[in-house]
Amino acid sequence: MSIDLILEPFQYGFMVRAFVGTGLVAIVAAAVGTFVVLKGIAFMGDAIAHTSFTGIALALILGISVYVGALLFALLTALGVIFLTRVSKVNNDTALAILFTGVFALGIVLLAGTPGFSGDLNSLLLGSVMAIQTREILLMAALALLLAILFVVFFERFVLVSFDPVGAEAAGFPVVFVQSLLLTIVAATIVISIQAVGVVLVVALLITPAATAGLLTKRLKLLILLSSALGLFSSFCGLYVSYFFGAPPGATVVLVATLVFALALGVQKLRRV
Amino acid sequence: MSVASDLALDIENLSAGYPNNVVLQDVSLQVKRGTLVAIIGPNGGGKSTLLKTAVGLLQPLSYTVLELLGQNPQTARRNIAYLPQQEEVDWTFPLTVLDVVLQGRLVRKGLWGRYNSQDFVLSREALDFFGLGEYERTQIEALSGGQRQRVFLARALVQEADLILLDEPATGLDAKAQHEMADLLAKLSKEGKTIVAATHDLNCLTECFDHVLALKGRVFAQGTPEEVLTEENMVELFARHFPKVGASGEVTLHEH
Repeated sequence: MSIDLILEPFQYGFMVRAFVGTGLVAIVAAAVGTFVVLKGIAFMGDAIAHTSFTGIALALILGISVYVGALLFALLTALGVIFLTRVSKVNNDTALAILFTGVFALGIVLLAGTPGFSGDLNSLLLGSVMAIQTREILLMAALALLLAILFVVFFERFVLVSFDPVGAEAAGFPVVFVQSLLLTIVAATIVISIQAVGVVLVVALLITPAATAGLLTKRLKLLILLSSALGLFSSFCGLYVSYFFGAPPGATVVLVATLVFALALGVQKLRRV
Repeated sequence: MSVASDLALDIENLSAGYPNNVVLQDVSLQVKRGTLVAIIGPNGGGKSTLLKTAVGLLQPLSYTVLELLGQNPQTARRNIAYLPQQEEVDWTFPLTVLDVVLQGRLVRKGLWGRYNSQDFVLSREALDFFGLGEYERTQIEALSGGQRQRVFLARALVQEADLILLDEPATGLDAKAQHEMADLLAKLSKEGKTIVAATHDLNCLTECFDHVLALKGRVFAQGTPEEVLTEENMVELFARHFPKVGASGEVTLHEH
């Protein structure tokens, strides 16, 4: 294979934008996703992704920023779930599933039924990273950076409220605020990742690299760094492979991440034998 | 110094629980600083409810006085450490022992501020105080129940808490670990800390406390261990409810 062939994807602006955009969100999603995995709230991440879709659909139809629509719906979902679990004290899986699939279905019907927008349906569901514009990349990068900074600044606090919320609250620590901030970051991360891999697969960007890293280390900071590295690696390899084989980029990225997980699982099992 | 500031806990006529389920009625308790207090009583007797209400995790239903460390509960909270029941903590979260102890500093800092070298020095000193120095880099999940409790006490120490409340600290500890726990609590009270521990079974912890409060929906008895832990009191306090199945299959509770 000649060097020209290896570098071929980088000759195209749309591929470079895809690499940068997907890489950025993959790093942030994988870092934030460690909390999603450790607290076992992947299901909620999926719910947020699906309701965000309806937020995007409404924003498109109303002609406002899709980020505003998506973030609004994502936050309403996240905070609604906090409220639900704090008030009713039950993990209301069924209620959440009914609610988020209902909202998701509404978004599909609205978007498919509005003339001129049905084409967006497919790209939202499966991602449209190749169609990403430079202006969108800059916005994504700015948001990813903001989320990364918030994540690092409040990291120890997120750990505290995840590990011992009761003890922290008793000592006067603002537990509800910090938990809400963490969920807001999770929600916003999902929103900026939708363009890369689409609504249906976005949760994989959060949980698969984090779960893989969780198989390899128990040191929290190392786990997060490893997860981010795996996220970046998967997005890079996935896009590369999808370029040469003409495969859907978002799905290929997730497929690579899943293969890496399977590999890590195999290595872990072998080490134990 | 006023009388009030000598008291770590000053509670009068407190009712607590939930609006549709009053768990505790008319509780009064005065505890001097540096005292070791045990709260005993059957399950559902209101021990946890009293602790949770004192630290503001539950809203009190009514009271005439509710002061901690001479302040209202909201202001006092920074100087209060509450060790939750085992199942309220996510022990599987990948944290080292040192990470957990450092949290005592974080709680004092609130929303802003990073760990400094002083925080690490204090945390390592606290670990040594509880004989856990060698476990600094061990995962919290890998420790025994007794060791985990000691890590949380170390965290309370670096939080500079003056009042330490423990909800069922003896759960899952064998007799030896319970004795070690009792010794450590005594050591802390000698340092001027006020310790209040709720425990549903009568164990070796109870005997070495200064003050015992027996709860069964209201104050059943309180005083020194000798005064409260009499056979007569204990039989009545811990009388069990046995389910009894009637002739037509209905289940009723019969008190023995």
